[in-house]
Amino acid sequence: MDLLEPTREAFALLLRGDAELLQIIWLSLWLSLTAIALIAPPSIALGLILAKRRFPGKRALVVLVQALLSFPTVVIGLAIYLLLSRRGPLGSFELLFSPTAIVIGYMVIALPILVVFTVSAVQGADPRVFETARSLGASRIRAALTTLWEVRFGITAAVVNAFGRVISEVGCAIMVGGNIAGLTRNMPTAIALETSKGDFAQGIALGMVLMVLALCINVVMALLQGEGGLK
Amino acid sequence: MSQTLLEAEGVVRNLGGRRVLDGIGLSLARGQGYVLSGDNGSGKTTLLRILSGLDAADAGVLRFQGEQAILPRYPDGWRRRTVYVHQHPYLFHTSVAGNIAYGLKARGEPREQWRQTVQDAIDWAGVREVVAVPPQKLSGGEKQRVALARAKVLAPQLLLLDEPTANLDADGRRRTIDLLARLFAEGVTVLIACHDREIIELAGVRRLHLENGKLVPAG
Repeated sequence: MDLLEPTREAFALLLRGDAELLQIIWLSLWLSLTAIALIAPPSIALGLILAKRRFPGKRALVVLVQALLSFPTVVIGLAIYLLLSRRGPLGSFELLFSPTAIVIGYMVIALPILVVFTVSAVQGADPRVFETARSLGASRIRAALTTLWEVRFGITAAVVNAFGRVISEVGCAIMVGGNIAGLTRNMPTAIALETSKGDFAQGIALGMVLMVLALCINVVMALLQGEGGLK
Repeated sequence: MSQTLLEAEGVVRNLGGRRVLDGIGLSLARGQGYVLSGDNGSGKTTLLRILSGLDAADAGVLRFQGEQAILPRYPDGWRRRTVYVHQHPYLFHTSVAGNIAYGLKARGEPREQWRQTVQDAIDWAGVREVVAVPPQKLSGGEKQRVALARAKVLAPQLLLLDEPTANLDADGRRRTIDLLARLFAEGVTVLIACHDREIIELAGVRRLHLENGKLVPAG
């Protein structure tokens, strides 16, 4: 197979700012960022609670979150599909094959990543952080927020990882989004579709964008981490 | 006659099958400096942490300015009356001034009220020359002095210090002891767990001694 020609075409698409390509990239970013913005605060709060509090059923909740982490995204997509399909319990909302459905799927995929990373970061925090804050008169909530701030590199890693996971996710997005051009077609689903049609140029172009994006995310994370990052 | 600030009765704490505190009873007078001595593992830190509400006792009674609490319950409102400073104080990842201001902000005091207080505390602790240094890069002595300033600005009714001069170099130790002497002179009620002979011998300081989980007359 000649890869040179489609690669040349891919660069041409990128350089001339192909409208369809840009729309797909924009939609991918929009869906991923929306999902992360919506699910990060409750997930981080849940991670904080799991790390700091004891309550009945905590163990079961931890196991459930960890199990979610290893669930194939296509199974998550199937579950959401069944919930949102016309005869499903949430069918009346008519969300299937809409950007909202993809955002819901992304949120479910991102949640366990955010929770597990947050639990790990908070449990790794110096216990003196919370004690010092409390001793200086901070409320439990303020002391917890101070703890989160002290482990912000770990929390940043959680958010960046979750974003990286959802923006490259394909199984769930195809199932609940339907890969509809101009509406729910995002970078990974477009790559899958164009490749299956034998049209590699757009797939390669989008693949390059995803890789550059992944590189940028890691660079930004390294900059954000500063001295708190990996040595 | 000195006024009683805090009284403890029958404070018991078991840890790992061992009775660390065995019916501790003490009375702290307002404005008095105390040193709590005792061997390593004698329960000094445990007692300080119980008095500050950071750890729960298994049994006992505390009376703070006449208000009584049956342990292990520790009234939340008491937390703002005491400040506990760790042996190796933790400084937050903010500036030196931000650390000193932390408790004031947590208590909801307006910035214009505490700005000068923080600046005065920086001078009091002698950390003006390192005010721009990230707190994590300060020496042990500097960290301890920032932590003391952070506690002092809150004007706690009881300041609980755990081994404030442990593992400090000669200069850090000297300057920390000077600050402790000033705290005593300023009439702050301070209870210090330590072995440091120089602190024990500071003027006006009363000594409490822990042995086998009980307070015994200091020898």
